[in-house]
Amino acid sequence: MATLIAASSLRTCLGDGAGTFAALLDGRSGVGPLRHPLTGQLNVTAGYQIDRPAPDAALRAGTWLRECVEEALTRAAIDPTRSRVVALVGTGLRELAAVEELAFTGAATAPSRLHFGPAVRDAAPGLAEVVTIANACSAGGHALALAQDLIETGEADAVVVGAADTMTASMLAMIGKVTPEPTTQVRPFDRDRTGVLLGEGAAALVLVGEDWTGPAVGRLLATGLSCDAVHETAPDVDGISRAMHDAWSRAGRDPDEVDLVVAHGTGTALNDPTECTALRRCLPRPAGPLVTAVKGAIGHLSGAAALANLDVALRCLASGTVPPVVGLANPLPEGDGLAFVRDARAHRDVTLAQVNAFGFGGVNAVTLVEAP
Amino acid sequence: MPAPPVTTVAVTSYSVHLPADERFGAAVADLPPVEPGCPADRAHTLLGRKGLLYKEPATRLALCAVHRALGLPDGVRPDTALDPRTAVVAASNLGNVATVVDVTRAVAKEGSRGVSPMAAPNASSNVIASSIALWFRLGGPNLMVCSGETAGLDALALGALLLRARRADRVLVVGAEPDDETAVAVRRGPAADPTAPPLRAGAACVVLEPVTRAAAPLATVTVGPTLSRRVPPPTRIVVGPGHLDPAAAWGDCYGAQGVLQTALAARLVAEGADSVAVLCGGDDDGWRTALLTPGRRP
Repeated sequence: MATLIAASSLRTCLGDGAGTFAALLDGRSGVGPLRHPLTGQLNVTAGYQIDRPAPDAALRAGTWLRECVEEALTRAAIDPTRSRVVALVGTGLRELAAVEELAFTGAATAPSRLHFGPAVRDAAPGLAEVVTIANACSAGGHALALAQDLIETGEADAVVVGAADTMTASMLAMIGKVTPEPTTQVRPFDRDRTGVLLGEGAAALVLVGEDWTGPAVGRLLATGLSCDAVHETAPDVDGISRAMHDAWSRAGRDPDEVDLVVAHGTGTALNDPTECTALRRCLPRPAGPLVTAVKGAIGHLSGAAALANLDVALRCLASGTVPPVVGLANPLPEGDGLAFVRDARAHRDVTLAQVNAFGFGGVNAVTLVEAP
Repeated sequence: MPAPPVTTVAVTSYSVHLPADERFGAAVADLPPVEPGCPADRAHTLLGRKGLLYKEPATRLALCAVHRALGLPDGVRPDTALDPRTAVVAASNLGNVATVVDVTRAVAKEGSRGVSPMAAPNASSNVIASSIALWFRLGGPNLMVCSGETAGLDALALGALLLRARRADRVLVVGAEPDDETAVAVRRGPAADPTAPPLRAGAACVVLEPVTRAAAPLATVTVGPTLSRRVPPPTRIVVGPGHLDPAAAWGDCYGAQGVLQTALAARLVAEGADSVAVLCGGDDDGWRTALLTPGRRP
């Protein structure tokens, strides 16, 4: 039984899904000076932020998520009061920025605003079941996996898969702590990469079963999941490879069918070589897939990163064009043999794409998607 | 690879790890007594001394609950090979809020110099789930549920889903909350409800397996959908607000409460109750019910 993606909606610093894809194809970066009350103390000076609501407003992630859920449900023309609809929301940092207000002003936020139940219910009145999954930088991929399970076991007619993240002072501080010099631009898979920068954004998809008769933007084959259980923060080739094998085995497809990988590509010292090694281990060479990555253009959207990658993959499937890796000039040695898209967009009929997302704590989600 | 549905999910072990305090003096009629556990700062007595230094209280309590549910000997950290078929689903809303606020205060005061990189894992909300995986070498899917009042039963429902979708052969569903000053302030929010039971630190674990694989099922479990209103469960025995209510007696474990109540319900069923419902939730996040019935296959 297949799962179809009826609609996908995205918000990044480069705009909505169409605007983000157009900017990616042009090789544009949305990086800018960091606007945060503690800029200057964080050793982080740049970020990929969304202008509205302004960076000092409260509960911004929920605002973008609400817009994305409204848009996706409208496009799919699904009424949550008339069918069994469940929402799963992936996030890295929840609305912890609101908790940090306790440190600044002592102001308390309602505890239910830490997660995204209220934001989704605002967008979809009548939708009671909203589960927020805080699975770090692969949260959206985990939500996607569980959503497909809900469709395929018949436990829901449709699932809204959302993801949203903004920046927190505490996470910015940790990023500042591990970089000697502040990073000015994320450079995925570049040998001279200097680390990650946070992005802001949200995404929402609507998943439905095979009997769906409405419009569809993609066919979800499978998402493989694994946990490294090796290190608190460092990624692990074996753990990532298990998620890739799980995805291919659940899809019942062969890895040599893949045309495109939208990689996790964080531009950090550890992720990029580890991801390259896993890709070389799990995907066939030399006629391997194109590899692209978006974090040089939109930053690391944390829990929303997987769904941002997926929205881009769907647009590659639909358009036959693949954006270049913004920020990549000289590929790292571990990437030898991988077909990175560089400098300019590539034209290729993409029929099956793999989307990677890996998170703190070794939580891995690898998604396979093809055209509807 | 659509798998045929796994029909029934069994509870095969459970634990409740509530640090001892004066509230246990008040026994709750018809609720099984709970053996008090060690507080977070004494977690080494159960878990062994090594590796706990930068672990937050909620993570320590969660590790204690898993240690007890797995029936491991006191004071010894397990030395096992990676188990890729056991999943972890943790539920907690407040586990890392103290770290988040402390780090923010430190940065505001002294810049990034004031921050220890050892606290980095705790800045991420999934630290409880991933710490359990790392400690017990569990390589299956690893989920951190932070969905407010229903989090415990949301985690139970997702644990059952992982089994039905054949993503794991065994799932540890773990709830944990701390009761530090920041956690209490966040739980209280801007408009405190004076009638609500106070937040208490604690953890619980429920081990799920497909009934077809379970050597000794204690109970079978099904979780219902989230509803916006509270609907009375159909059973005579109900664990939850307005019924047998551990939160009213011992304090409220918020995101862990649904797991704790399920553990108590499993014990009631294992001791002979016909069927027990777990009611969990609140007016903010909605209500969810789980139903536990005797585990023997007919």
